[in-house]
Amino acid sequence: MNAAVATSVFGAFMVLTVVLGVLALRGRGGRGGITEWSVGGRSLGAVFIWVLMAGESYTSFSYLGGAGWGYDFGAPVLYVVAYMSCGYAVGYVVGPMLWSYAHRHGLVGITDMIAHRYGKPWLGALTAVLATVFLLPYIQLQITGMGVVVSTISYGTVSLNWAYFVAFAVTTVFVVVSGLRGSAWVSVLKDLLVIGTLAFLVVYVPLHYFDGYGDFLHRVVHERTAWLTLPGHGHSTMGTAWFISTSLMNAVTVVIFPTTVAGYLGARSADTLRRNAVYLPAYNLLLFVPMLLGLAATFVVPGLAGSDSNLALFKLVVDALPAWAVGVVGVAAALSSIVPMAVFMLVIGTMWGRSVLSLVPRLRGETRQKSAAQAVVVIAGGLALVLTYAAPNTLVRLSLISYEGMAQLLPMVLLGLRWRRLTLGAALGGLAVGAALVCALVFSGHDPVWGVNAGIVGLAANLLVALALTYAGLGAAGARADERPDGEVLADDGVRGAAVPGGTETTGGAPLA
Amino acid sequence: MFRQRPHLLWLLVPLVLFLLAVPWVNRVDPVVVGLPFLAFWLLASVVVTPFAIWAAYSGDRRLMARRAREER
Repeated sequence: MNAAVATSVFGAFMVLTVVLGVLALRGRGGRGGITEWSVGGRSLGAVFIWVLMAGESYTSFSYLGGAGWGYDFGAPVLYVVAYMSCGYAVGYVVGPMLWSYAHRHGLVGITDMIAHRYGKPWLGALTAVLATVFLLPYIQLQITGMGVVVSTISYGTVSLNWAYFVAFAVTTVFVVVSGLRGSAWVSVLKDLLVIGTLAFLVVYVPLHYFDGYGDFLHRVVHERTAWLTLPGHGHSTMGTAWFISTSLMNAVTVVIFPTTVAGYLGARSADTLRRNAVYLPAYNLLLFVPMLLGLAATFVVPGLAGSDSNLALFKLVVDALPAWAVGVVGVAAALSSIVPMAVFMLVIGTMWGRSVLSLVPRLRGETRQKSAAQAVVVIAGGLALVLTYAAPNTLVRLSLISYEGMAQLLPMVLLGLRWRRLTLGAALGGLAVGAALVCALVFSGHDPVWGVNAGIVGLAANLLVALALTYAGLGAAGARADERPDGEVLADDGVRGAAVPGGTETTGGAPLA
Repeated sequence: MFRQRPHLLWLLVPLVLFLLAVPWVNRVDPVVVGLPFLAFWLLASVVVTPFAIWAAYSGDRRLMARRAREER
């Protein structure tokens, strides 16, 4: 009975999700090539970008994993709050800069920008492959997360293996049909549900299980003291040095994360992004709630071990609420998997469509690129699904290095876009050294190394090598052969006099320079 | 970057609050409004951050207005 109620609520919302995705395209007749599909025709207003960007960063990790970390360790989970807040400060500068660069040259993604900056289409293809390797584990994690949700809210009626397939199928159909615009719409639904359920739980749980907030916090401070400071409960390696280095690295990396950039490029103007950076950090208040609920769960459902701690929030909900409410919380959790997963797939599809497949002459042109990109989405999703069944543990390992690996693209992208002298050879050298160092440290079990995040160690080495090679003159001849003026190659600060920035738009499917 | 846009220095405020300050605020006492100090500090920082970024933005608004006049 419980299973039937919760599952029906869940099923109804999944149908609603796909319908919303289709409705998002109404009035646009499904027309439009890759620009409409991948960056929403660059016409999403402030509100949509707000929810989309909040939506993709607020994944099932923040919802379920946040409570799980809060349950297991406590304070270290607050690094998410730290890096996202700092990330908006960094993004305030970088977002508008990338937006106006892409707008001026008709580019749709980060790999596209790299290819344009260095004048080498193959470089775009190379970074697209690298970025895909770093993104796939995230899709797989979302499939796993949503699978667990589906299986739990059906009270075990739907087996895990089928639940994974449901997660894959719903998301793939959704993203192929709707693109970025649809994702933004569903993001609204998701945010309403996430905010609603968290707001409810944060009021209800202390009243139901404790004598109100005073009593709850009093017990937390006195009985859970170890959880409240770094490095947290248990013998965690996450001390203050780890907290600072990880937050700093993530804050600068998140601004070039291909999915964040997709959000940036969907904005109507560079100024939209600046205004968003003012308001979006307020959203981070919500991130405290899962941690709080995780701490509450240590009193209510003690003794969850291993990956079961990710279910801390759910166990709490199943214990406290009737079946229909379990269904609603399940929908919120599932949508927090679907929206980011959809954006990840969309970004992979766009990157391949623009930067890899466009090197095949037969596939040029906006519409063909879009079809090719959609095919890539299905393949990438299918690959992540197969890996979920075949090698669940390997990919979790990989996901550890995805942020730290993506960070190694920073010098090539951000320094490159502002500093003409940085040569291709030097950037590649830095990338190779940084990536190799990160892989070596992570896979030999040395992350964190001396209490510091391994990714930032790799980034420091990367930057040093890139600077040294540039000053040593590596590839300087090749760079001089590129006769384009600085204004064509570099990005400006994106601050325009007019409210709507001018510039020549070349989104007509021009092949890469 | 800071020469033309000195107001961007406001963006350092969240970095100081969330990163630099952490070694000094990593403690349970004093408990403020029931919250352990670290959590209270980070919560207060989240509230302050939008104002810091807004300060940077209002500097950019003035810069935009100036550039608009120069273009005309």
